[in-house]
Amino acid sequence: MSISVGLNCPACGGAIQVADGEQVVNCEYCGSMLYLEGDGGVNTIAFKMKVDRGAARAVSEEWFRKDWKARDLRKEAKVLEIYPIYLPFWSIKMRVIGWICGYDERTYSDSKGHTRTERIPKEEMVLNDYQYSEIACDPGDLGIKRLRNFLGESEFEDFGNIPTYEATTSKDEAMKRIGEEALNDARGEAHVQHVTFERVHVLPRALSMIYYPIWVVRYGYREKMYIYTVDGVSGEIISGRAPGDPLFQSLAITAGTTIGGLIAAGSLYLMAASETMDPTITLIGLAAGAIITFGAYMFFRHGSEIIEGDFTDKKYGLGGLDEMGVVSDLLKGRIDLGGRI
Amino acid sequence: MKVVQVRCPNCSQPIYSKIKDIVFFCENCKVLHIRGGETKVIDYEIADFNKTITAEKKYMPFWRVWCNFTINESRVSGGTFRKMAQFMRGGGNSGSLFVFVPASEMDVATFKQLAMDLTMSPPRYSTRLDFGGLQRLPTKITNGEAENVSDFVFVTIQADKPGILQDLDYDLVCQEARMVYLPFVVTESGPRPAW
Amino acid sequence: MATFNCPKCGAPVEFDVKDRLVRCRYCSSEIFIDKSGAGFYYVLPFAIDETTIIGTFRRWAGGSTKAKDLDKYAHIVSVKKSFFPVYLFKRDVDGSEQVFVEPAASTTLPGLHSLKVPGGDMVVYDKNFDAKGVDMVKPDIDMASYLDKLPGRAKEQALVYFPIYVLDYAFAEKNWRTVISATSGEVFSGDFPRRSSSAYMMVAIVGFLAFLTEGFLAAVDPLLALALIGITVLVVFGASYFVARRM
Repeated sequence: MSISVGLNCPACGGAIQVADGEQVVNCEYCGSMLYLEGDGGVNTIAFKMKVDRGAARAVSEEWFRKDWKARDLRKEAKVLEIYPIYLPFWSIKMRVIGWICGYDERTYSDSKGHTRTERIPKEEMVLNDYQYSEIACDPGDLGIKRLRNFLGESEFEDFGNIPTYEATTSKDEAMKRIGEEALNDARGEAHVQHVTFERVHVLPRALSMIYYPIWVVRYGYREKMYIYTVDGVSGEIISGRAPGDPLFQSLAITAGTTIGGLIAAGSLYLMAASETMDPTITLIGLAAGAIITFGAYMFFRHGSEIIEGDFTDKKYGLGGLDEMGVVSDLLKGRIDLGGRI
Repeated sequence: MKVVQVRCPNCSQPIYSKIKDIVFFCENCKVLHIRGGETKVIDYEIADFNKTITAEKKYMPFWRVWCNFTINESRVSGGTFRKMAQFMRGGGNSGSLFVFVPASEMDVATFKQLAMDLTMSPPRYSTRLDFGGLQRLPTKITNGEAENVSDFVFVTIQADKPGILQDLDYDLVCQEARMVYLPFVVTESGPRPAW
Repeated sequence: MATFNCPKCGAPVEFDVKDRLVRCRYCSSEIFIDKSGAGFYYVLPFAIDETTIIGTFRRWAGGSTKAKDLDKYAHIVSVKKSFFPVYLFKRDVDGSEQVFVEPAASTTLPGLHSLKVPGGDMVVYDKNFDAKGVDMVKPDIDMASYLDKLPGRAKEQALVYFPIYVLDYAFAEKNWRTVISATSGEVFSGDFPRRSSSAYMMVAIVGFLAFLTEGFLAAVDPLLALALIGITVLVVFGASYFVARRM
C-alpha cells in the first residue's frame, strides 16, 4: 500500500496547492472550487527568531541576580551551551457565552458581637473571547507548558535550520482541556460565590499550530548543570533552574516565623483582651500567621534550587502550592498537607 | 484525504467561487448547501437590500433557529415575576421564538448585540433569490453551535427581565435552523441594517 | 532525510516526520502522506552529551528532596547510552483525534513505566540513520497486538526510539540507578536516597511557637519580650542556617 497520494484537481487534472488547515481551495488552472474531505490538518505558523545567541546569553546577567539565587552565581556560572529550538504549541481561541446566577454572602458583626449574614443575589453574563495555548509535545525538563506571547512575525525561513520538536499530542484532546480551562476562567471572572444556576457554552473559534522559537542555555555552577530558556521573540527568560543560597533560606524562615508568630500572638491577645471580640477575627489572624510561617518553611525547605517556569518539581511560592494542588484543594475546602511537605 | 470538486447536490453543476466558505451557493439552481461532516442542502432566505442606501453593503449570514420552550420554574430575587414579553408567541410559561445567531466572524460584543437585537425585534424584509452581486461573508458558526447560542439568547431574555435571576428550570428544543442572509453596511460603530 | 518516490513522476521526495503535505521538487505535485496504513519508525537523536548529563545528575542530586550531599558523594559507577522504544498511536475515535502511547519493550529500568514520548526533533529511522554504536533496545511487544485493541480508526502509528542515559551510582554503601532523557535532561527517577524534613520542620515549629509566646509576653512585659524576641531571631537564624547547609 502506498503512503503517498498525489493531489490533483479532479476536474482538469492539474496539480493543486494546499496549505495545512485549508479545507477549500481553488484550482489555479481551471478555477474549480475544490473541497478536501477528511482530516484537514491544522493551520500552521512558525514565528521568526528575533533574538540572537549573544542576547540569549546576556539576559542571564540580570536573571542571575534576581529572586534569591546563589550570591556568587554571576561570578561562578559558566555558560556551556546555547542552542535554538522550535517548540510546537496548540493555539486555541474560545468564545465563552452564558449566564451564572447565584449569590454572595457577607457577614457583618456589630459592637455587641451579633453577626448578621447578608445575601447579595447576582446574575452575571459570561461573554468573552479567550486565547489559550498548550505545548503539543512533552516538554521534558524545559519548564515550558504554554505560550506567553501570541504575536510574532510568521515565516518558515529558519524552520529548516533550527531543530524542531515534533507535535505528539492530540489537537482534540488539547481542545477539550482548554475548553475546561476557558469554562473555569469564565466562572472565576463571574465571581459568584454560591452558584444556583449556570448555563455556559464554549464555542471553539480557531485552532492553529504555532512553532515558537526558544533558546536553550545550559550553564554550569560548581560541577552542576543548570538550564534556562529564552523566548526567541521577546528575548525574555521563560523558565529556568538556578542554585539557591542557604543564607536566603534561613533568612526566609527567620522572618517567616517572627512575623507569623507575632501575628498569631496578636490575634490571640486581642481575643483575651476584649470579650466582645468576634472570634472569627482571631481565627483569621491565627490562620494568617500559620500560612506565613508555612510559606516561609517551604522556601526554607526547598529553596536550595530556585525554579522559574512550568516545572513540576517546584514546591515553594504560589506556583509551588499550585503544583501540589494545595490551592485548588483549599478552594474546594479540603486541606490535607500530610505527605506533601 | 480526498479532493473533490464542489458540485451542487441538487443539480450536480460545479460551483465556481472565490469565497472560502463552508456553505456553497449554486448560481444555477439557487440551492445552498453545507459541507463538513456530511454534505447537506440547507434552507435559506436572502433579504432584499434597500437600494436607496448607496454605501457598500455586505450580506451577513445568520442562523435563524426556531425554538420551543417551556419554563418549569423561574426564581427571581428582588423583582416581580411578570408575564412573558409579547414577542414570544403563546405567552405564559411556554411558547416558541425565532433566535437569530450571527454566523460570520465578529467580535464578541457585536455578536451578542446582533443576536439580541434581531431576536427581540425580528427583521421584516422581502426576500430575493440571489445576492445581487453583493459580497457575502463566510459562515464560521455551524448549526450545531447555533443551538448553543440559542440557549444563551433565551437565558439572556429571561435574565434581562426585572429582578435578579436566581434559578431557571426550563426546556428548550431547537428545530432545524435556516440560514438567513441579511444586508448590512459596515461602519466603524458596527454593522448597520440595510434592508 | 527519508524519501519516497513521487506517485506522479517517480522522483525521490524528501519528507520529515511532521510533514503531512509535501511538494515534489521535480514535477511540483502536491503529495499527501497517508500515514494510516503503514507503521513508521522514528528516532529522537541524542541532544545532550555525557559531561552535561553528569552535571545534570549532580544538579538533580542536590535537589531538596535528595539525601544531603548526594550531589557530592554519589559515586558514579557507570553511564550507559541507549535508545528505548515506545509505540505512538494516533487514532480517530468518533471524529476526534486521540493519542495513545503504549510500551514496546518490557523493562526494569526505573522511571520508564510512566509512558511518554519525550519531546524532540524526531527523524525517520531508516538506513540513513547512524546510531553511532549506541544500543537500540529491541521491542519485544508487537505493534499489531495493539492495533486490534485500540479504539477508533488508525491515523498514524509509529515505533519511536528515544535516547536515554542509564546512570548507576553508589551512595552510602548502596547502589542506585537513574535514567535521564538525552533530549531535555529530564530525570526519570525511580527511587533515590531521600532527605528527611524533620530538622527543617523542627526549626519552623519551634521558631513559630517561641515567637507566639513572646508576642503574648509583650503585653505583660514589653522590654523583656523585645529582648527575648531579639535573642530568638538570632537563634532561629543560626539554627536554620546550620540546617540549610548541613542537614
